Amino acid sequence: MKALLQALVLLVALTAPAAAQQPRKDMVLTGDAQCTRCHNEGDEFPVLAIGKTKHGTVADGRTPTCTSCHGESNLHVNRPADAKERPKPDRTFGKTSKTPMDERSGACLTCHQGTTRMHWQLSAHAGNEVSCTSCHQVHTQHDRVRDRVTQTEVCFTCHKEQRAQLRRPSRHPIAEGKVACSDCHNPHGSVGPKMLVRDSVNDTCYSCHMEKRGPFVRTHEPVQEDCSICHNPHGTTNPSLLKVRPPFLCQSCHEPDSHHSTIPNNGRATLPPGASTNQAVIMARGCVNCHTNIHGSNNPTDGGGGRGFRR
Amino acid sequence: MKPSGKASVLAAALAAAFGPALAADEEPSIAQLKTPESEASLGVGYVSDDNQRFGQYNGLNEKGGYLLLDADVVRRNDETGTWLRFSGRNLGLDSRELRFEQERQGNWGYFIDFSQIPRFDPYTVNTGLQGIGSTNQAQTLVTPGAGSEYHFSTERKRWTLGGNKTLLPGLTGDVKYRTEEKKGDRLWGQGTFGNWRFLADPIDQTTNQVDATLAYSAGKLQLTGGYYGTTFENRNNVLNVTNVAPLGAPPFTQMALPPDNQSHQLHFAGGYNFTPTARGTFKVAVGRITQEEDFPTAAVAGAPGNLGGRIDTTLAQAGFSARPLPKLSLRADLRYENRDDKTPTFIYYPSQRTATSTNNGENEPRDIKTLSGKLDASYQLPNAFKLNGGVEYVEKKRNSPPVRSVSFRETTEETSLSVGLRRAIGESMTGAVSYLHGQRTGSEFLTNVNFGGTLYSNAIAPLHLADRDRDTVRATLNWAATEALALNFRADLSQDKYTGRTTTGFELGPRKGEGQFFSADGAYTFSERLQATAWASHARNRYENALCPESGAPLTCTNSAASPVWGDKLTNTDTSFGLGLRSQLTAQLKISADFTQSDVRDEMNTFAISPAGALPGGALAVLPDINTKVTTFKLYGDYALRKNVGIRAQWIHDQYKTDDWTWQNWVYNDGTTITQDPNQKVDFFGVAIYIHL
Repeated sequence: MKALLQALVLLVALTAPAAAQQPRKDMVLTGDAQCTRCHNEGDEFPVLAIGKTKHGTVADGRTPTCTSCHGESNLHVNRPADAKERPKPDRTFGKTSKTPMDERSGACLTCHQGTTRMHWQLSAHAGNEVSCTSCHQVHTQHDRVRDRVTQTEVCFTCHKEQRAQLRRPSRHPIAEGKVACSDCHNPHGSVGPKMLVRDSVNDTCYSCHMEKRGPFVRTHEPVQEDCSICHNPHGTTNPSLLKVRPPFLCQSCHEPDSHHSTIPNNGRATLPPGASTNQAVIMARGCVNCHTNIHGSNNPTDGGGGRGFRR
Repeated sequence: MKPSGKASVLAAALAAAFGPALAADEEPSIAQLKTPESEASLGVGYVSDDNQRFGQYNGLNEKGGYLLLDADVVRRNDETGTWLRFSGRNLGLDSRELRFEQERQGNWGYFIDFSQIPRFDPYTVNTGLQGIGSTNQAQTLVTPGAGSEYHFSTERKRWTLGGNKTLLPGLTGDVKYRTEEKKGDRLWGQGTFGNWRFLADPIDQTTNQVDATLAYSAGKLQLTGGYYGTTFENRNNVLNVTNVAPLGAPPFTQMALPPDNQSHQLHFAGGYNFTPTARGTFKVAVGRITQEEDFPTAAVAGAPGNLGGRIDTTLAQAGFSARPLPKLSLRADLRYENRDDKTPTFIYYPSQRTATSTNNGENEPRDIKTLSGKLDASYQLPNAFKLNGGVEYVEKKRNSPPVRSVSFRETTEETSLSVGLRRAIGESMTGAVSYLHGQRTGSEFLTNVNFGGTLYSNAIAPLHLADRDRDTVRATLNWAATEALALNFRADLSQDKYTGRTTTGFELGPRKGEGQFFSADGAYTFSERLQATAWASHARNRYENALCPESGAPLTCTNSAASPVWGDKLTNTDTSFGLGLRSQLTAQLKISADFTQSDVRDEMNTFAISPAGALPGGALAVLPDINTKVTTFKLYGDYALRKNVGIRAQWIHDQYKTDDWTWQNWVYNDGTTITQDPNQKVDFFGVAIYIHL
């Protein structure tokens, strides 16, 4: 028995150094061993959940390892003896990070610069110290900004006026997740105004409102030019997302001849059929009570009412 | 962790139902930590009352029970990198979404997606109109309130198919096709002075979109090119209107509905990194929009059978960004867009060609050409200051028909200058302030003349064409006051001044716009298990306009006590706030609560400009304010019965209050009335069991 124990001790003594020198195995990403020897799910910065994401799909040879984004970080890995605190990795992405914003985004753009992110550097976001990780969460399966229902929580971090506008009675179904900010805007930059997904305001609106496109026999100039002359897509208290209620909106452009300068009148009084024009320009659908086809009419029949979008 | 009481009973039942899915609790392995999660939930919900606002888009608009069914099932073959995903959201509601996708990451992928978007109109219609939902409607006189009641709605059903394939290293093809059916009815109408009739717009439309791109990426170069095409098909092209005696004839017997149309675009874009800090980009695109649907109503003799509408579009853009010095960043962008309306003209309305007419009876093609350029620079100053500055120029050229009823200028030019300063103070505070000044001007306004050549009204500079000076100041402050407390403040102030046209000594049309916005946000972390948030915002936007009834030849402001020069001042004030709480009370129980309230007031003040104090016959009577208040309280609870099974419960209380008078007391000449409940309160209760698969 004693001999057996001696043999076991000898075996352990001989094999232990060899085991200690064995390279650590990667846990999630290819080449992550030098990071995951310290960082795991119980760490201050849990990292392993990246394995649940596309970045963690190691069968795709393009996927990164920790140092692809965070840099080689030699000083972080091998803390200098005289350092009071362990130096941070070369690139960090948290709220207190000192890594410049363009360098943080640069880490992502190394792989993601193409297609819809082609114009990132010229975007309003890039110009206002916003980086990819200002919005995106990389180490989690559920990135809030990529979920239509939770996306606004991220956008409202900065776009606070829209947060209130989206709660108004005339609105898109954004709160319900049926329309997302990214349906109209490309937050990664575009050649359209206001970082819109299409090349113009109207082209973006036509994605869902193609019936307004025409062209028509009778066209309404501002309608053809820019929907946002009259509408605020983020929400209003006026019907149909109008910036201003008729007749005031219409009176912003139309010459005051004829009934165009009609002073709207209080319609609270009991109104029998046959309202006055003063009432009809502001009550019900306002000017559109008559000018029904305000976005354009394709009715070619000669006679009255055609030029005024009334039929 | 041992659930007790009823929870244990429920867990036992679930264990029987789900079997292996309810394995004993254990610490997650590395494999589990890196394996994509799946979840499915099943439950029931109850809406306390019929409502027109809370359920407007989510399908919870009627009192009663609802099925709550959601799923997000994700599987990944780690050996091949192949993902399989099925997700369903709101499957028991009219707002349901379904998606199935499979992808071998970095090689190929495809998906099919279905989305249903309801819209329940917030009004109740009481009408005698016959034929609602069809293209033949008969207006029928009813005593107000004695007609049939309708709640209009529309519904979009959208299918999207897509796929992608990596063709060569760096070269990927991507195709997406979307088709959407939109059906339903919406409020509509027709009218002439003193005779307003109700109609229901019958909607039965299909839109199709195809987006196909090829993208190439290799090192410093990225290219993408493709085709984007759309079609719009409307199965209803005209609404025929008749009347039932004793109601008189309708103002118009045929109402045009939107015509079929289509668009095609080819685009090509690219970017190149000249150095690690210098990049150039470009995009070019050419497109064509056509509208050639045969006219559903009779045109004059000799007219073409359809409009032959055609608009050719061209886009060219070039951008450049660089950091020529370590502290200096530059960005430049140049853009040209041409909308060339090549629709042939024809005199569709010869009867309009009278001496006093403000149109020549032709259709009016609209060309718009836009040229814009932008240059931004930022420089890092000592003491963590960063200085930003920029200039932007936009020139728009438009055409106009020779006879018109609205004033017009062919060119507008707008130049904007901006300057800003940003400073990071330590790691905890960042502040920024910026100022923008924009000036829009343009060519001389064209002189409006009637078809007969006599002078027409030339008083108004339209809102989007008028000379305008715009000033905007913005300040933001982000402050991590302590480890636990984060604060954010924002203030925006803006002012627009419109000038440029004077008639009879009065400046008419848009005069002034003002905007103010203030917000404060705070987040406090009591502990890892308890966080609270609060926010408040206040916005006030004001717009001023001036008008006058005109008379005489040439037309000038009447400027009399009976017909004064008058103005309006419209003010929209929005005060909103929200409170939120996130807590994990125990290892099993999470509770969250959110309270939000928005209070919006619209003021519409009309006043006499000249003669001073003129209030003719009450015509300038004060319009009542319109107040809208939306209050929402949400309470969520999540109780884990096992590591992978739990129960979620939610309660939502929603209240919508309005004193909008614009429909109240309004009666169409056919007796139709349209109303909404001015005080809508609704509660939604839901409970669902979920399982992590």
